[in-house]
Amino acid sequence: MRIELTDLTKTYKGNVHALRGLNLDIPTGMYGLLGSNGAGKTTLMRILVGLIKPTSGTVRIGGHDIASGEGKLAVQRTLGYLPQNLGVYPDLTARRFLDYIALLKGLDSRTERRRRINELLEVVALTEEADRKLKGFSGGMVQRVGIAQALLTDPRLLVVDEPTTGLDPEERIRFRNLLSQLAGDRTVLLSTHIVDDVAQTCRSLAVLAKGRLVFHGDVGALVSRAAHQVWTVTTSGPAPTWGRVVSALPEGTGVRYRVIAASPPDPTARPTDPGLEDGYLALMESDRLTHPV
Amino acid sequence: MIATMRYEFHMQLRSRAMWVVYALVFTVYVAVDRSFFTLYLGRGVEGEPKTAMLALGTMVGALMPVAYGCMVADRLVRDTRLGVAGVLDTTPTGQGSRLIGKYLGVCAATAAPIALVFFGRAIVFAVAEGEPTALGWASTTFLLTITPGLIFIGALTLTGPLLISPMIFRVLFVVYWFWGNLIYPAMMPTISGSIFDATGGYMEFGLLSPERDPNVIPYGPYPGAALNFLRPVASPTVAFLWLGTMLALAVAVLALARLHLARKAT
Repeated sequence: MRIELTDLTKTYKGNVHALRGLNLDIPTGMYGLLGSNGAGKTTLMRILVGLIKPTSGTVRIGGHDIASGEGKLAVQRTLGYLPQNLGVYPDLTARRFLDYIALLKGLDSRTERRRRINELLEVVALTEEADRKLKGFSGGMVQRVGIAQALLTDPRLLVVDEPTTGLDPEERIRFRNLLSQLAGDRTVLLSTHIVDDVAQTCRSLAVLAKGRLVFHGDVGALVSRAAHQVWTVTTSGPAPTWGRVVSALPEGTGVRYRVIAASPPDPTARPTDPGLEDGYLALMESDRLTHPV
Repeated sequence: MIATMRYEFHMQLRSRAMWVVYALVFTVYVAVDRSFFTLYLGRGVEGEPKTAMLALGTMVGALMPVAYGCMVADRLVRDTRLGVAGVLDTTPTGQGSRLIGKYLGVCAATAAPIALVFFGRAIVFAVAEGEPTALGWASTTFLLTITPGLIFIGALTLTGPLLISPMIFRVLFVVYWFWGNLIYPAMMPTISGSIFDATGGYMEFGLLSPERDPNVIPYGPYPGAALNFLRPVASPTVAFLWLGTMLALAVAVLALARLHLARKAT
């Protein structure tokens, strides 16, 4: 399901520009949306799922213009959405919660609903906990209930907003794998500020900064933004002052620094292969220089 | 709409807080007004089921709606507070349908304890007096004098917290209830005793018990009260006008809430 954004703008009260003239084409498959906090990711997600309206510009999803009532409804029929900080009704069991959402999504047949819920509880590994009240669930379990509700109608478009925030490492890996498996012939739009989540799951991505689109393309292209700019410096002295220190790992009596810089930050610096996080940071650094405010 | 109604009904009915609040209000009420325990409920007409059931209606309808309003007050905004609204609003079921479903489900469940107290006492009366007609009068009284007010204040208290926090709204609602429904009209300018009074006096004195001596318990313009133009003399026509007013207010409040929610989405 293809998503086309044309000159998309969102301005909140007080002249706060959340999105500034976004043009983007999102193909079928897993697609990452990266950006720092306040970059406009959540605003974009909320526009795509029909929770808020853009100030100007158009959004077409699977050929439907979501500005029209029919278009929005058509998209919502094929949509699964996992919002940032999903909440649940604490006194419902996981099964009852899913049943309620399924009814709202139009799954009217009780047999079909029951079958689908059992299937999804299995997928998210919550079958054993299905009849427990949600108030006793951990953050990771609630996120799994969230993904189950998003998949109830086998949606063609799955929008997940910061899904791994607050999860422990094991839950995060489990969740990422689940999303990757789900992609297939769906469009899965993963919004996050955790670069590793995109690195492990997406082939293509877009990067937002202060409401602007600063990059879109495949992961390799973003990684190459940091080509010949990543160095390691091992020293027992002070940290390098030239460039941006990405990590600092104690090693023997010294510390091994990973630095992004246009030229060697230290005479002992050794070039190293960039990763997605390096590419992202190099991009953000160059964007800061070209758009200081 | 049906799904929302069903789920909201069950969630509210299982709310322990609701039953505790009702129990407290009921305990305070019967501690203050002992006539709840007397067979003729303070009106002193021996074995007369209609008068007894109307008296019961007046008693139950005086304070129990305070608990009702307070317990309804957070049910709409709690979807946002809990973080469920984001998911609900992206389902194909329209916001309007869910609002109506929530209204019906929540109000029905929150009115259940009032009905329990009312009909429980009515059954005691019917059995003790050997007067099964009391149950007929109980149903009529509940339906015509208590329910219309609950319909209106249900809409008001469900949607009011869209504008202010539920806690502040509850305080204002309690103030409104005493000022606008229970206070003696000559004390200060008030809508108490008027066509906007939600306690059902117009239905009782205008339709169900018109033979009551208006000099004993007047229902209409109060001597020395302001806003008497809102207090027509009780009659069957005015009783139905009051019923229509309650329903119209409920519809208007829900329609405004729907508009407010739609505007918020921009």
